[in-house]
Amino acid sequence: MKATILQGLQQAYDNLVHMVAEFLPRFLVMLIIVAVGLLVAALLRYLLRWILHLTRLDRFSEEAGATRVLRKAALPSVVELLSGLLFWLVWLGFILLGISVLHISELSEQISRLFQFLPQVAVAILILFAGLVAANFFSRAALLAAVNAGSRSPSVLSWFVRFVIWIFAISMALEQIGLAKQTVVAAFTAIFGAAMMALAIAFGLGGRHLARQWVERYIGDKKKPVRPEADEPSPL
Amino acid sequence: MADENFLADDFVRQLMSVGEVDLMVGLPTHNSESSVGEVIASIDKAFQEKYKRERVVIVGVDGGSTDGTCDVIQKADIVAHQNSRGITSLRTVHRIMTKYDSVPVPGIALRTLLATADLLRAKACAIISPNSVNVTPEWVENLLEPIYRQGLDFVAPIYSRHKYDGLLARILLYPMTRATLGSRVYELQSDEFAFSGKLASYCLNQEVWHNEAIRDAPQTWMAITAICNDFKYGQSFLGPKVRPANVPAPDLVTVVRQVVSALFWCLESESSVWIDKPTAALAASTSGVNGHHWLEGSDQANPTRGWEMFRTGITELTPVLQSIVTKDTLSEIEKTATLEVPTFHIPDELWVKALYEFAASYHWDVLSRDHVVQALVPLYRGKISSYLIRHQDSSFEQIDAHAEALCQEFEKQRPYLIERWKVKS
Repeated sequence: MKATILQGLQQAYDNLVHMVAEFLPRFLVMLIIVAVGLLVAALLRYLLRWILHLTRLDRFSEEAGATRVLRKAALPSVVELLSGLLFWLVWLGFILLGISVLHISELSEQISRLFQFLPQVAVAILILFAGLVAANFFSRAALLAAVNAGSRSPSVLSWFVRFVIWIFAISMALEQIGLAKQTVVAAFTAIFGAAMMALAIAFGLGGRHLARQWVERYIGDKKKPVRPEADEPSPL
Repeated sequence: MADENFLADDFVRQLMSVGEVDLMVGLPTHNSESSVGEVIASIDKAFQEKYKRERVVIVGVDGGSTDGTCDVIQKADIVAHQNSRGITSLRTVHRIMTKYDSVPVPGIALRTLLATADLLRAKACAIISPNSVNVTPEWVENLLEPIYRQGLDFVAPIYSRHKYDGLLARILLYPMTRATLGSRVYELQSDEFAFSGKLASYCLNQEVWHNEAIRDAPQTWMAITAICNDFKYGQSFLGPKVRPANVPAPDLVTVVRQVVSALFWCLESESSVWIDKPTAALAASTSGVNGHHWLEGSDQANPTRGWEMFRTGITELTPVLQSIVTKDTLSEIEKTATLEVPTFHIPDELWVKALYEFAASYHWDVLSRDHVVQALVPLYRGKISSYLIRHQDSSFEQIDAHAEALCQEFEKQRPYLIERWKVKS
């Protein structure tokens, strides 16, 4: 009995030592590949940045309006963005190569799936980026219009516009990567519907007089003299 | 050759039947039934009495009128001829008209009139607003004469003004163009002005007509184009400017957006003309009358509403303003927003500095250009309120003195504009 237990323990220990002895060199190789990848990626980023500066891409992107769009989305310049993208792509490639050296079949399968999934993720990121830019632009437009019209809650209106666009962009991005499609659509419908209903109720209760003024202005007597903004002198 | 492809075939046929002309008056109309008849009668009278031998034409360009404007334009001549006395024109006073769109677009109207002037080889052309209820034959003469007889290429009007009218020109448009371009043209954005056939052809051939800033305020662009491109320009006194009671006053936000966008756009497109030259080198003599012409009257304007909108605007737009003006300027603006109405005051130095920073931000595209201009509106409202408080009891001489001091402040800070214009900060 005792001999059997000892034999079992000895076998387990031998297996562990064997596994560690087999795994450790692979792990070290993986670390070396990742480290080399980091160096190569950094070098390539430096090289690309240098080449792009040489080709005056920044100036071209400024003239084409791309820099403005990126700035509005609080993103770095085109040169930084491209060189950063190259860095991460190269390094990610080396990391995945390193992981494959470990010979873990499940992990390899997941990595393969990840590669197939990447284009959809890229499109989803693009959708989110476009949503971010659109949300910034339209919320600012709403804020400026509301402030200049003398609205009482310009920030609320601006945030509402931003919120709706965000929700819209996020739901589109999630749908793109196929994540809980039905839940996303249902959540979007519920949130959007609730927001619209809240707005309608708020306007119906709080803005009855405003609504009446609008109706009178647009479908009432058009020949009636229109009074300019109270006490505001004519600019021209 | 001018680009006349956008003219309707029927209108081109009308132009062919008119032939060449010496003088042309254009009327950009939109629901102007109540006033356009009187305006045409005055133009007609001017032609009958002052230009008997000249070949003349009145051109109506309508932007989506739903009333009887077009009928009035076509029938107005009958009334005018019936009322004429003594020796009248030896030639036919032609009247033609065209419709260009379902909504009025000043740029399209002006482009149509420029193409018309070009095709008819008109020597002098005047644009008159059909909404001006007190147009007299002298207006027509005062606008056309400097072009036709004195060889000028552009004539801007000078109106008699109440002390709170035309503030956009007084505190922004005039001082800024005077400081940057050296121009002394007071009414750069006006409903009435005149130009030569030479300037019409030049402007018609510029690739600007699809630009939004120019479509909305083409008058400002045309005036600045004349100033910056060695055309001879001047001013002519017309008298008081009166609008019909049933025509709404122009909306402040719309006007500021249109005019300031056009001004900033012109400063950018003509930057090679002004940026490296001192104002003195740019200053060309402005023919005709100069200075302000005041109208007595009970001017009532309450600064409180504008002050409230300024204060709310500055608070709400802080994140937007941070991208446009410097920290120091924003902090000074915020400080003024804490003042209450009797003591509220935006100093000229601050106004000019902020305005120059807005112009530079427009140039550098720090935000959408329209957003930069819209963000200026609360500050403009604040400056107007400050102006109203300051000049509630001022005499015309005091207002004149302040206007001159403001112009000098704009000129003093011109190097700051150039510095910010050249180097992005």
